Amino acid sequence: MSVLEVKNLTHTYSGNTPFVNDAVSGVSFTANKGEIIGIIGHTGSGKSTLVQHLNGLLKPTSGEVFIDGENIWDNPKEIRKIRSKVGLVFQYPEYQLFEETVFADIAFGPKNMGLSGEELKQRVLETCKIIGVKDEYLEKSPFDLSGGEKRRVAIAGVMAMRPEVIVFDEPTAGLDPKGRENVSEIINEYRLATGATVIIISHSMEDMALIADRLIVMNKGKLEMFDTVENVFKNGDRLRAIGLNVPIVTRVFYELKAAGIPVPDDVFTVSRAVEVLKQIKAGGGNA
Amino acid sequence: MDSIISVKDVTYEYKDEETTVAAVKALSLEIERGSFTVILGHNGSGKSTLAKMLNGLNKPTSGDIFVDGINTKDEENEIEVKRKVGMVFQNPDNQIIASIVEEDVAFGPENLGVPPKEIKKRVDDALRAVDMLEFKESTPHRLSGGQKQRIAIAGIIAMQPECLVLDEPTAMLDPKGRAEIIETLIRLNKEKGITVVLITHYMEEAQNADRVLVMNDGEIIADDKPKVIFSDVERLKRVGLDVPQTAELLYNLKKNGFNVDTHALSIKEAANEIIKALHSEE
Amino acid sequence: MLRDITFGQYYESHSLIHKTDPRVKIVLLFLLIIFIFLAQNGFALGFAAASVLIIMLITKIPFKLYLKNMKAILPVLIFTAVLNLFYGESGRVLVSFWKLQITTDGVSRAIFMAVRITLLIFISSALTYTTTPNDLTDAIERLLSPLKFVGLKNAVHTLAMMMTIALRFIPTLIEEAEKIMNAQKARGADLENGKLTERVKALIPILIPLLISSVRRAYELAEAMECRCYNGGEGRTRMKQMHMAGRDFIVLGASLVICGGIITLNILL
Repeated sequence: MSVLEVKNLTHTYSGNTPFVNDAVSGVSFTANKGEIIGIIGHTGSGKSTLVQHLNGLLKPTSGEVFIDGENIWDNPKEIRKIRSKVGLVFQYPEYQLFEETVFADIAFGPKNMGLSGEELKQRVLETCKIIGVKDEYLEKSPFDLSGGEKRRVAIAGVMAMRPEVIVFDEPTAGLDPKGRENVSEIINEYRLATGATVIIISHSMEDMALIADRLIVMNKGKLEMFDTVENVFKNGDRLRAIGLNVPIVTRVFYELKAAGIPVPDDVFTVSRAVEVLKQIKAGGGNA
Repeated sequence: MDSIISVKDVTYEYKDEETTVAAVKALSLEIERGSFTVILGHNGSGKSTLAKMLNGLNKPTSGDIFVDGINTKDEENEIEVKRKVGMVFQNPDNQIIASIVEEDVAFGPENLGVPPKEIKKRVDDALRAVDMLEFKESTPHRLSGGQKQRIAIAGIIAMQPECLVLDEPTAMLDPKGRAEIIETLIRLNKEKGITVVLITHYMEEAQNADRVLVMNDGEIIADDKPKVIFSDVERLKRVGLDVPQTAELLYNLKKNGFNVDTHALSIKEAANEIIKALHSEE
Repeated sequence: MLRDITFGQYYESHSLIHKTDPRVKIVLLFLLIIFIFLAQNGFALGFAAASVLIIMLITKIPFKLYLKNMKAILPVLIFTAVLNLFYGESGRVLVSFWKLQITTDGVSRAIFMAVRITLLIFISSALTYTTTPNDLTDAIERLLSPLKFVGLKNAVHTLAMMMTIALRFIPTLIEEAEKIMNAQKARGADLENGKLTERVKALIPILIPLLISSVRRAYELAEAMECRCYNGGEGRTRMKQMHMAGRDFIVLGASLVICGGIITLNILL
């Protein structure tokens, strides 16, 4: 069932600034309940502009965005309500922390939605439980936490609004491997607990192969491809033509194929690669 | 070994009211002139603290660091140490001082009192070295992250340093920007003979290094060629690091009884190992 | 939108005005401003306006960029003009109500004031668009350098350095403020509605992160400057030497003609 539908979305920035902005033109896609959609594309391909339309931060020049079948701009005065249906976690979200305590900062979003008292408290505590913000942190200042923990709290601040669709703009940027792994876990835990739809902008093809169901490929403001991970990564040539690539393990398999080894062309993760090679080794041929 | 930097039994402690935390513990290290060294480690492993001591920005709590024979604690030579060991940081926005590219690159030589004519030449040379000469008169604000970071590198190169220390210069960049920086560093190292010390947590960036150091909890726990470092997947994962996908693939194949050499790193080498292993079965 | 602010921004182009010594430009700016305000009659002001327009043409800067700076100052301009409307002391009375009256003199005052402010904005924009912030601060530092002799050497250098850094970080901070605003809006913050007190309160989630990030930037910048051997103004050299070239004297000559023209028209008519 589709939760989010984007129809022929176009956004052009007003032309009277000397600055270059990434515009978007004629983009359409739908997102189903509970699925993970990855968005890949170069810096300046329009990814960030696209996602800012999903919660109404930007208004399309033409085209529509539907949440649960409703056009989000039907009632422009109520656009703030859309922000709790579609959560948007910006790049380096820890820079938006401002409250005195972790609790108060996580409560900011739900409070803006109109929650108060016991309900607000429950909401914050529940969110912390889902994604593992420790109780002892709640009364600490968010500025005393480590970089990775700050990001966890900032993400919790958006999740506490219980969005049905949650969008992340490069959620792991600037983190070390452990931090990256933690953020991926948080996202998955939220999805499992709430059944939300997740949309992630990422530069890592390896990560996308591991977590995404479908991929949106953006190029120069246009939707280049929108398909399953398998079908997108099978098109290695097309990705390379726009300066992107397939996961490293897939490139190893290109070499194997070129050497005449009968490997399938849908190997995008290490675990699948090991399975395939084990079969070849055992069977001496077909996978 | 001809060392450009010698770190001798250095400890660095952060003190606040109650506690003292040692970020670097009794560490000794020699950086060979002209080499390309990568330092890996998770956040809080002490690698940034170490980096900031290499040019005297931070002074060791105990122990000494020598740059080309000069002790970084020697106040008379403070400027000279900073000139010899240039530092580039994570956020390019916060190291660009001027609003025009060439004026920013000129900042270092101006501080050193280099004559104007010579500065002009150095600025052009430095911008050419990072392949940014055509942006000489541009505003840094309008450039991409990778371009800005190359401007920051040019600003250091214009001081004619012996050694370049970069503290996670690619952490905030996209893959294209990251590739630009790594290419630039390899070129500076090969063509200009500048010693490079690169701190990163992108494992792929360590593949081209002469030497990889792994830091954990203020100590160096591994020091070897990249191939050797990445073949020990379990050790790296234990200290919160990752390995390139090729290394992970070979490691997993080996665990599953494939006769592969886990020292292969490039895509081609990895593929050849697998092909060899499959053929040896027949 | 915040990003529409272009004041204090350099616009790259290769015109005579771009190449003119920034010190000459600053001195001329002040001279022209004084003469624009000295122009007493329509001919003198018309002449000044024509001169300013010609300078603007020579800069090769798109006219709409000049208009954009005007837009920001428009409320001030209208306010001043309207105020002047009622200040006419002589002339035929056109409209009169309550204790106020608008006379022909008042109308001409209002027009004069509006034209003067417009010219002032245009000519200042011509300076900032054609001069890099660094050149500008350099020129100010050099023009103020006589202060060295009264023991203010370091103060002059520090002031110039502060201006350089401020100008460099204006666009960065504007962009950052926009990002933080969007991030808080995404958390349901309401920045557009509500009473004044509520709106001021709504700014806290933006100002605090902006302040924290500025402090962090300042700290990192200080470290980066130290790594680039910055040690105050002592012993520094400059890549760009300023010396007056032939074109500077042409510009200087042309400006003196303009000023002379304004004076002559002032006296003759």
